[in-house]
Parts: sequence; C-alpha cells; structure tokens
Amino acid sequence: MLKKKWLALFVLLSIKLSAQVKPENGVAPSKPEYIAFIHATIYVSPSQKIEDGTLLIQGDKVISVGSKIKIPSSAVLVDCTNKVILPSFIELYSQIGLPEKITSTTKGATYWNESIHPDFDAASRFEIDNKSNENLLKMGFGIALSHYQDGIVRGSGALISLGQNDVNKQLIQSQSGLFYSFSKGSAQQTYPSSQMGSIALLRQAFYDLEDYSNSNNQDRNISLEEWKSKLSLPSFFKTDDKWEILRADKIAKEFNQTWNYIGTGKEYAWLPNHKNLNGAVIIPINFPEAYDVKDPYVARQIPLSDLKHWELAPSNPSILAKNKISFAITTAGIKQPEQFWANLRKSISRGSTVNQLLEALTTKPAAILGLSKSIGDLSPGKIASFSIFSKDPFTENGTLLSSWLLGTEKAHKVLPKIDLRGQYALTLDKKEYQFELSGSPEKLEGKITTFKTTIDSKNNTSKTDTIRQNMSVSYAENDVIIQFNLNDNYYNGSVNLHGKVYGKDGGIFEGDASLPDGRMNYFAATRTKKSKEKDEKSSILSDTSYLGEIWFPNMGFGNDTLPKSNSFVFENVTAWTNESEGILTEACVIIENGKITYVGKDKGTYPKNAIIVSGKGKHLTNGIIDEHSHIAISKGVNEAGQAITAEVSIGDVLNSDDINVYRQLAGGVTSAQLLHGSANPIGGQSALIKLKWGHTPEEMLIPNAPKFIKCALGENVKQANWGENNTSRFPQTRMGVEQVFYDGFNRAKKYQQDWENYKLKKGNKPRKDLELEVLSEILSENRFITCHSYVQSEINMFMHVADSMGIKINTFTHILEGYKVADKMKKHGAGGSTFADWWAYKFEVNDAIPYNAKMMTDQGVIVAINSDDAEMGRRLNQEAAKSIKYGGMTEEEAWKMVTMNPAKLLHLDNTLGSLKPGKDADIVLWDSNPLTTTAKVELTLIDGAVYFDQKKDELLQRRNEMERGRIISKMLQSADQGETTKSFVKKGKKHFHCDTLGEEGTESENTH
Amino acid sequence: MKLTFILTFIFVQFIYFAQPAKILIIDGFLHKGNGETIDHALVGIKNGIITEIGNSLVTRFNKADWDTIISVEGKHIYPGFIAANSTLGLTEIDAVRATRDFNETGEFNPHVRSQIAFNPESKVVSTVLTNGVLVCQSTPRGGIISGSSAIMTLNGWNWEDATILADDGIHVNWPSSLQGGGWWAEPAPKKTNENYQIQKNEIDAFFELAQAYFEGHNKDKEMKFDQRLEAMIGCFKGAKRVYFHADEMQQILDIISFSSKFKLKFPVIVGGYDAHLLGKRLKDSNIPILIRRIHSLPENEDDPIDQSFKLPYLLKKEGVLFGIQNAGDMEAMNARNLPFQAGTATAYGITEEEALQSISLDVCKIIGIDKKYGSIEIGKSATLFVSEGNALEMKTNNVSLILVNGEFAPTTNFQSDLFQKYSKKLGAKKQN
Repeated sequence: MLKKKWLALFVLLSIKLSAQVKPENGVAPSKPEYIAFIHATIYVSPSQKIEDGTLLIQGDKVISVGSKIKIPSSAVLVDCTNKVILPSFIELYSQIGLPEKITSTTKGATYWNESIHPDFDAASRFEIDNKSNENLLKMGFGIALSHYQDGIVRGSGALISLGQNDVNKQLIQSQSGLFYSFSKGSAQQTYPSSQMGSIALLRQAFYDLEDYSNSNNQDRNISLEEWKSKLSLPSFFKTDDKWEILRADKIAKEFNQTWNYIGTGKEYAWLPNHKNLNGAVIIPINFPEAYDVKDPYVARQIPLSDLKHWELAPSNPSILAKNKISFAITTAGIKQPEQFWANLRKSISRGSTVNQLLEALTTKPAAILGLSKSIGDLSPGKIASFSIFSKDPFTENGTLLSSWLLGTEKAHKVLPKIDLRGQYALTLDKKEYQFELSGSPEKLEGKITTFKTTIDSKNNTSKTDTIRQNMSVSYAENDVIIQFNLNDNYYNGSVNLHGKVYGKDGGIFEGDASLPDGRMNYFAATRTKKSKEKDEKSSILSDTSYLGEIWFPNMGFGNDTLPKSNSFVFENVTAWTNESEGILTEACVIIENGKITYVGKDKGTYPKNAIIVSGKGKHLTNGIIDEHSHIAISKGVNEAGQAITAEVSIGDVLNSDDINVYRQLAGGVTSAQLLHGSANPIGGQSALIKLKWGHTPEEMLIPNAPKFIKCALGENVKQANWGENNTSRFPQTRMGVEQVFYDGFNRAKKYQQDWENYKLKKGNKPRKDLELEVLSEILSENRFITCHSYVQSEINMFMHVADSMGIKINTFTHILEGYKVADKMKKHGAGGSTFADWWAYKFEVNDAIPYNAKMMTDQGVIVAINSDDAEMGRRLNQEAAKSIKYGGMTEEEAWKMVTMNPAKLLHLDNTLGSLKPGKDADIVLWDSNPLTTTAKVELTLIDGAVYFDQKKDELLQRRNEMERGRIISKMLQSADQGETTKSFVKKGKKHFHCDTLGEEGTESENTH
Repeated sequence: MKLTFILTFIFVQFIYFAQPAKILIIDGFLHKGNGETIDHALVGIKNGIITEIGNSLVTRFNKADWDTIISVEGKHIYPGFIAANSTLGLTEIDAVRATRDFNETGEFNPHVRSQIAFNPESKVVSTVLTNGVLVCQSTPRGGIISGSSAIMTLNGWNWEDATILADDGIHVNWPSSLQGGGWWAEPAPKKTNENYQIQKNEIDAFFELAQAYFEGHNKDKEMKFDQRLEAMIGCFKGAKRVYFHADEMQQILDIISFSSKFKLKFPVIVGGYDAHLLGKRLKDSNIPILIRRIHSLPENEDDPIDQSFKLPYLLKKEGVLFGIQNAGDMEAMNARNLPFQAGTATAYGITEEEALQSISLDVCKIIGIDKKYGSIEIGKSATLFVSEGNALEMKTNNVSLILVNGEFAPTTNFQSDLFQKYSKKLGAKKQN
C-alpha cells in the first residue's frame, strides 16, 4: 500500500513536469519563472495561518511560504493586500466531465451482472465540462475525483485538476479511487431488485474475485481482473439512507476492505455511538431547506423526523468534530456556490471551526486519497493550486477573485485597485458642485447636490432649494464614467463625465464633460473627505438558539435516552405462565438483570432497588412473538429477480426507525421473525429481532438466534396474479414449483459433495456460492424453513420433497388449508403459523376457514397466529382470541398461539415464550384479560427494560407536539428572514406484505 | 341451559323451512341498540315486526298466543349490525377480476346501481351474517361519483327480496388535497395536489348541472331526459343521501361549504380521519360521520398510536353523530369483524352500548333506515340475533339465533360445514 502511494506521488509529479505531448503551434508561450503572492493572508494548512505573508511558486509547485521569505528578483509580484489565500479544496464525490448516462459499460468478457463493472475507468471517458468546472471552482475547489455514479461496483475514478482547457492537462491521475454503492443503477437485468439482493450480489462478487485470484480458473473475466488490480486504490462507498453505512461496513469488515463512506448528513444522530468504521466518512452539507409551513393543515402532516433533521442538519459537522470523528466534506447536492459558502458559515455558527472545515475540504480528502505529500495544503513542494478571495470566505461574504490551478491562473473577478469613495468638490464649466461616492469599491453609488433659486414675483422674495440627485457611476481600471441629470439655474438636462484617476489613493480625477447644451468642457473632481472604512464586523454570530435533543430514534416517539434494564417486582398480578401452573391469580413475578427470576403465588425475594408494580386487577404475560412480520425492513421485502434467492438476507436491511416498531410495542409485541416475501419458491433468510425501539438494526437482532429461510408455494410463486405479461418465468404452475425445489436441493447436494471431495483432496476447490451455501445449510438442518403455503396439495408435496431430502419443514406459514392435512403435518413434524380468519383475497384461499388453528392444534401440530401486516401486528392478542370463538379453544391454548408456540416454532423457547425463571424478561402488563377487545398494554419490557409505557406515551405525545410547534415557529422565522422554503412532500407509505415487489410497498396491497 | 340450546337448534332447523309468524324470545339480556338494556327481556314478534318488549320475569304471556317461544337465558339479544359502506355482495375473490363487480368505468356514475349486482348467495356474505352483521350498505367504488349504493339484508333469495332501501345515496370521492403515490411497485412521494381546486370545481360543476336539471324537472315537463342527471334528483329532493368520502381537514371544510351551497338535505362524510378537529362545525352543519375502519394505522408517523381507536370517543365528545364502518383492505371478508372494531373502541372512551349503537341504530340514522331498523323497539323490523355472550368480543361472539325481517336465518355457513366435515375425518383430538 505504501509503495502504491509513493508510486502515485511520482506519477503525479512526473506527469505535470514532463514535456508537452501535443506540439506547440509556434513558439511556446512565455511564462514567468517565479510568481510571488505578497502581503496575503495565507491559510497554509488547517493549522497554520499567516498574516501579511508571501507565497512563492515556481511552475506548478509551491517553493516557499512565510512572512519573511526571500523573493527571487526574477519573480513576478502579485499584490494580495487584504486578500486571503486558501489551498484548493478537493471534491471526492463527483461525476464531472462524464456523461450522465453511459449506454453500456459492459461489453466483452465482463461480469455476468451489469451492475458490477469495476472495469469502468473514468479517465477513458471524461471530457472538459466547463460549466461544472466553473461551479466547483467558485466554491474554492481545484481538484475533483470524478467517477461514473452508476451501479454497485462502479469502477475507478480519475483525479482531475479543474479549470484546465485540455483533457491531458486536466487529468492528474487516472485510477485514483474505486467506487461502490448498493444501487443497481441502469443495469437492465431483473436481479437484484432489492437492497438485500444488492448486498448478496456484492458479497458473491467479492467471493468470485477471491476465487478468480486464487484458482487456476480457465475463464477470463475482464471485470474481475480489473477489480483485482484496483482493489488497493482508495475506495469509496456511496450511501443513500441513514443505516447504509453500517450495512456497507459489515461487508467491508467481511472482506477486509477499507471504504470511505459518502454519507447522508444524518450521521450526527448515530455515528458518535458507532465509531469503529472501517474507513472515514465524507459528509454532504446540502442542509435541507425549511418547509413552507404557513398552512397549518399541511404543517401538521410533516413528520417530526423531517422537522428535527432540518433543525439539526447544520450541526452535523460540529457534532462529529465534538465526538472526535474526522470527516471530509462533499458538495454533493449543492447547486450554487453561494449556497456552499452559506452552509459552511451556518455550520460555523453551530460550533464548527474554520480549522475543522478546512481540514475536511483539503488535508482530509488528500489523506483519503493517499496524496498528503502532494496536495491538500500550501507547504513547500505541494502543487500550486489555491484560491484567492477578497475576504476570508469562512467568516465573511468573500468574493473569489482567482483560482490558481497547477500554477496557472483562472481569473474570476477584478477588484478596483483604488477605493474612490468619499466626498468630492466638482468644478464643471467654472461652477462648483458637491458630490459623494458611496457603496462598495466595486459598485459605487453617487449623489450630487445642486441648488435652484426661484424668485416669487409677488412678494419679490427668492427661495433656494437644495436638490440631491442620484448619479450613475461606473469605474474600471482608472477610468471613471459618471452620468447625472442637472436641473438648476444653469442647466437642464443630462451631464456625462469621463475622467482619469490620479494619485495613489485616487483623490483627483479629471477629464471631459458633455453638457446639456451640447458643449464639451473640462471638469475636475477633488476629494475633500475620504470615506471612513466601514468596519464590517461581519464575523459570524454563533447560533445560540435552542436546538432540539437527539432522540433515539430521532423522530416522533423516540426515546430521550436508551431504555435500561431494571429490577421489577409485579405484585398481586394475574400471571399467564404458559407453563404447567397455568394462569396464576394474585401471583408475584420478579425480574432481575433482564431475566425472570421468580414466578409464584408466594412472595419471592425482592431484589435491591426493584421497581414494585401493583398488578391488582391486571394481567402479566410474555411478550407477543409475531412469527410472520415485514415491519422494519428497508428497500424491498422480496428479491424477485430469480426463482431461488437463498443468498439474500432480511437481516442485512433492517430499519430500526420504523414507527411500526413502537406501535407494535404498544400492542405487546416484543419479538418477531421478519420474513422475506413470497415472490419466489426459495426466498431469503429471515431476521429474528426484538423490538428494541431506539437501537440500531444490528442491536435489534436476537444474538445467536437459529437460522431461518422463507420458502413459498402457490399463486405468488407462479406469478398467478401478476397480470398477463408475467407468464414466462419458471414456474408457472404448482407442478413447476415442485421441480424448482428438487433442482435447488440437488444442486446443493452436489455442491456439498464437491466441497467434501475438495477436503479429501479428491477434487478442485469449488467456487464459493452463497446461494448453495444456504441451501446446504437447509440440507444439513442448520437452517429451518418457514414456508408460505395455502392449499393442501402443495403442502403435501413440499413435505414429500423434504422427506426425500431427509429434512423437515419447520413451519408452514399461512397454511390456510392446514386443517385438511393436519394429521400429515403432525406426522412430518411441521408446525403451522396461520391467520386467525383471513380469506377471500385470492382463489387459493377459497377453502380457508377460521377453525383452522383449532383443528391443527387438536391434531398435535404446534400452531401460531401471525400478522403479516403492520396493522394486525399490534392486535395479535385479539386475533388469538378468535380461536376461542371459532372452534372453542381454551384461553390458555389461544394465548400460547401468540407467545409460547411461535417461540417453539422459532426454536427460541429456551429463552422466550413463558413466565419461567431463567427466561428473558420480555414481559407485558395488561390492564385486563389480554384476549379481550378492550385490553390495553400498560407496560412492555424487553430484557427487563421498559420499551413502552402507556403513561409515558401520553407525555411523549405532548412532547412531540411541543417539539413540532417549536420547530415550526423557527421555520416561519427563518422564512421571514428570507430563507427559501420548499413545499411539503408526503412520503408514500411503506407497509410490506409477502408479495410486495420492488423497494417500496403501499397500503393498498391486498394479497398475501 | 344446554337443553335450551339444543331445543333452539332443533327449532332453527325446523323453522328454517316453515317460518312461524309469531315468535316470542324470553329470558335474554336485551341490548336495544339505542343505549337501553333489559335483563331477562321478553321480545315478541308478529309477522316480522316487533310487537312487544318487556321483562320476562314480570310480563305474563299466554303460550298459546305464540307459534314458538324461545328461551335464551344467559344470552344476549342484539339488533342486527349494519356494515355501512361495503363492497359486500359485489365481490367474491379480490384477486380474481371476474368476481369483482363494484367498480364501473367512468367518472360521474350516479346512475350506476349496486342493488342489482348484489349476490345474496355470496359465500362471503354467508360468513358475515353468522357474526351478527345482518344488513349491509352495498357500495360501489371508483371514479368521482362511484354510483348509488343500496341497503340489503344478508339473508335474501335474490336482490329484490334482500333490498331494504334501493339507491339510498350516491358516493362522491372527494379529491385529496395531497396527490401522487405512483403505482404500487414504484410509489412516488405524495405532494400537495396542485389540481385540487380544479378537481373540486369539476364536482361543483357537475352538481350545478344536476341542480339545474332538478329545477327544470320540477317546472318543465318537456325537458329532455338524462339518465345520469335523473339519478341525481333524489340528492336535491332529500330522497338520496350524498356520501362524501374524505379524511383530511381541507376536504372536510370544503365539503361543509359545498353541502350548504347546494342545500343538500343529507350529506354524510365517510372516513373522517380528521373530523375530530372540526367537531363543532360538523355538528352545527348537521353532518354525520361514518368513521373509517377502527383497526387501522395512524395516517401520519407522529399521530397518537391509538388515533384510530379513539376517534369514536373524540367525535362523541364533540356531539357529532357517527357510525363505524370497515372499508379498506379485504373489506368484504373483514365485515364479519365489524363487531370487534366497535369492541375495540370501548377501550378508548365509549361505552359498550354506545359502541354497538355505532354499528346499529346510529348507522341506520345516518343511512336513513332508522324508522324500521337499527334497534329493538316496538314497531320495528325483527332483524336481530342472539349471541352466547358479548357480541363485541371475539371470545364470546357466538351467534345461535338470527332473525332477519322476522325470518330465521342460518347460523352456520360453508366454513362451519367444512369444520364439521374435516373434524369428522380427522377424528378425536390428539394429545400434544
């Protein structure tokens, strides 16, 4: 790696100093040997600022910098009095000079999936793009790393010096970074269609890369070859939502990669608690605009999460800095240079320092690129790329005057050399006038005073009026042109002056005037009083207004602090034990260290500092376990791109910020199996979670939970309800579904055999295949199947397939015709997780009956009632009660269907599912019998910590309202102060069901 | 007690074919549906009409006066519940297009009538009836004016004899002040509906046209017949209700002005998620609400988690007349859960009697059939049922007797038949 950096440095310097490749037309342009920028304020580096200093450059390099340095006599001097020099900023995330869309990046012997194109090289496609160049230059950038922002493995980026008019000069270094993302982009293939699919594809590609590098594979693959050679480049991962950095980082760790993450601007809300990333973060500073909140009907619908983010986003840099997280800054998302500087200053008002921001724009990106030796600051030996501002742009509204790029100037604006402002005496045609020049040195405003005497003939009195007239003034170099109208006792009409300025400070200008009567005449103006330099104390005021706290998660109903485990004693409570004791009245239940320690009719030993809860009239149960849920999932519940997608995992794409987590806690749910959808026969792996509201996705996962996978049968798998166009993917019939399973399992058997042979040194090392790995886990019974199923024929079929493979189907889910084959299920050893009473939504549920749960139970099948629906998920207690109505189940049996039985089906009954000493303290306190419509949850505990408290919920509602009111009035104030606003965009709802395709779902889904 | 049950069962089997004219139900706990209850009640029915109500412990009756006397001791008697605003009878299997008969093409379809498409033999209908929902307002969907709904019993031989009230009202889908959403696999974010005013004006213009037709119809006998506008006449006369489907504040306020502009006699808001914020104005304008499904998630991320559960209470507090309905995902099948939706509301500030009133008498007031239906009172139709326990609870909703217009209806359906059939096949309960 170190070697590589040195090589890069060598390439960088040698390219720029080497001879021109293109022949000159005529004699080569003349250039000064040295240029010295004198009397400047120079930010040499984030930690070094020099006042009245000199910067000496030779060619494209800095020779020396300091306040007292020797200037060679051949140097051209550039006076920078009052001006500020900043090292050029470095943009790491850019597509500058590359086309918006490149039709095909993959031709030839490339990777099978188009979204993996590491072979793409930006240097081979980029062109001069003056408009984007100009925009970045105006923000103060001089260097950009440009890459093609499309696909999962996007290829390499080229490091570019901005402002050059020749592609060869513009390219500093061709392969300077390798880029990744989770976004499939313009690839035409159906796979991947979800984020978990992207993750699986990226991981598989990494394994393929390892395989390609290590084995004597005869197939050539350009993509993998190029990727291999680019792996040591600085690497970047673009993320699009809050948790993607953590998702990517998991992969980085798996494959020993160091990735720099282009973030979302929401890092302040979580990164301080998760610092050990395999790489740096690059944060955008396109802070959200305020919403237009004038209409209260609209304002009340804006999610508090958006309001809070609006308020806190400008604090992102300062919060990261305060937590000692160093970061780089990208301009991604910012269109106007003014906005860039305004946002930087805004972040300074929130506590960021100039040092921190400058570092994030210069030395940090240079370090990320491994080019700290050559770029990033203005110490001797570095490239001569810097910007000259009229004032310090970090603290004042400074204007960019010129960008120096590799020692060549690109001028943006010329300031007048002399400040002409002041009061003047004007002699014009032998008459005297007074005028004043004010405004700014670049943009002068003039006012002339004239007198007009009128005589009242009646009284014979005279009256003199003083008239002040505006003058239009233009000034460039040392020419002044002034126009004004005169209406006095001498002239009536326009006067035009053109004068030359004399004197070091101005002071006098003289020339010719054209008068209203058509004559030209000499004029002279002498300054009588110089304007006092207005001391523009415009240093940034720090924003001391109250800023909202960061909640966990940072949205409505978020926790102020994360819940902590406590000791509890529930006294005199009706305890639904789910054990042989049955339902105990006036019982005592004790919780300590996140576990249940005592359940009984007597009083147990009270732990120290225990919270004592009177359970009189109340009911205490285990937390509800939802065997089939799709809440808290990001960007797709189905990977529908292929018939078998065992390689994808819901656990990779958890979203702990789903409000439904909180809503379900309020319904007594503490654990859930988050399942892949049912669009294909073998879907993805499940995630078993506890509903730990406020924690990160990883922290919600139940540690060491058994592994599960979703399979599916019937109409969804055969695309029966997908319209007339979906009639070609295999399978289209139940007959085909059977064959898909045999094919998958037989391939997995062969895969297992190949590895076995390899271990016995009887064969070559097989290619590692994530899909077959997972299928092998099923065959060796290390992974359990939850299978979506409806009609008896397919249920029977799948048990036969399993029997022939020597495995068991762990759970049939939905299983609405389970009652027809309950005896066979019992014999096979399968459980059933079903709906209480759903039916009539498609043809295959025509014989679904609400007695199903009871009938399967009676045959000895372990039966759970599940939701598959975010709304029903919070009323599973009611759904369980329906089996009392339909078939006459006992209350205890019914209750077990949403607690103990799903725990058994998920193989979590050692720790969950009943009130038994030693089990996890996932506990719900109900105000009445939980099997009634009127039962309400008072407390929900997970591992002994309170995650829902009905009384606190009321306070949270009030707190949400106050926070909303506070931020909305702040928004209105900021709009009054001239900040721009945008109108509200209500996000579509994302409620996933089994057969929701694509990355988002809607509420109107009605098939399951 | 057990004997009574058996007797009742035999009775039902028998009388299903030979309907008696004079029925006396005694000893039950009567929920009248208007808030009143009587323990040990006596309910007498003659020719389908309730003729007597009293206390069976004190009221003397002559056995000979009655064709059948049914004792329902320990059980509860309820007026038949009403599933307002439902596609029940118009759909069978959601995913199969051939079975969907509720969404006609076209934007302004007041002339399209659900009554004649109602399928009394629907298997879905049979499973709803047996939970105590005996009447529905069979309602079309789609377009701006979906069509005219009809009020039907769930125990008919054909649509004609199932009809309680044909063409009871038209259904207007008020435009949303927010728009967008894309299609289901690629939903776009919603945003402020810039065409809201235009869409609102379309409805306004249509009503202007209809009003002119109505005025002309009164005075000008020669006027050209218009099938579509003819269907609107009842709305101005007061013979038809106008159901506005709307949830948002903006919509509701506009509907209040719209109703007063056109002097609509019976405007109703269906949905009404935000209605509690406009209680006084709704009360003053006399506009009732058919509240959207209680078992639904809050509309906005930050809304109170129990917002849908407590909407009945919030409207009660404001004095707004409301009923509970169940439109939404799988609404036909889910109509059998209407009693439990009302039950859930009782945990959030309304009483049990108020809850059942919101799916019986109050709904009937809103849809205009309260003179004959919705409560168990003398002079009203004997459309009622007996449940083993509280009918608003899953545990105890167990319907053992159903009368629709005085006729016994089956308390079993094809699902309970399948239960019997396969229970027999599977044999006795196995040990776990």
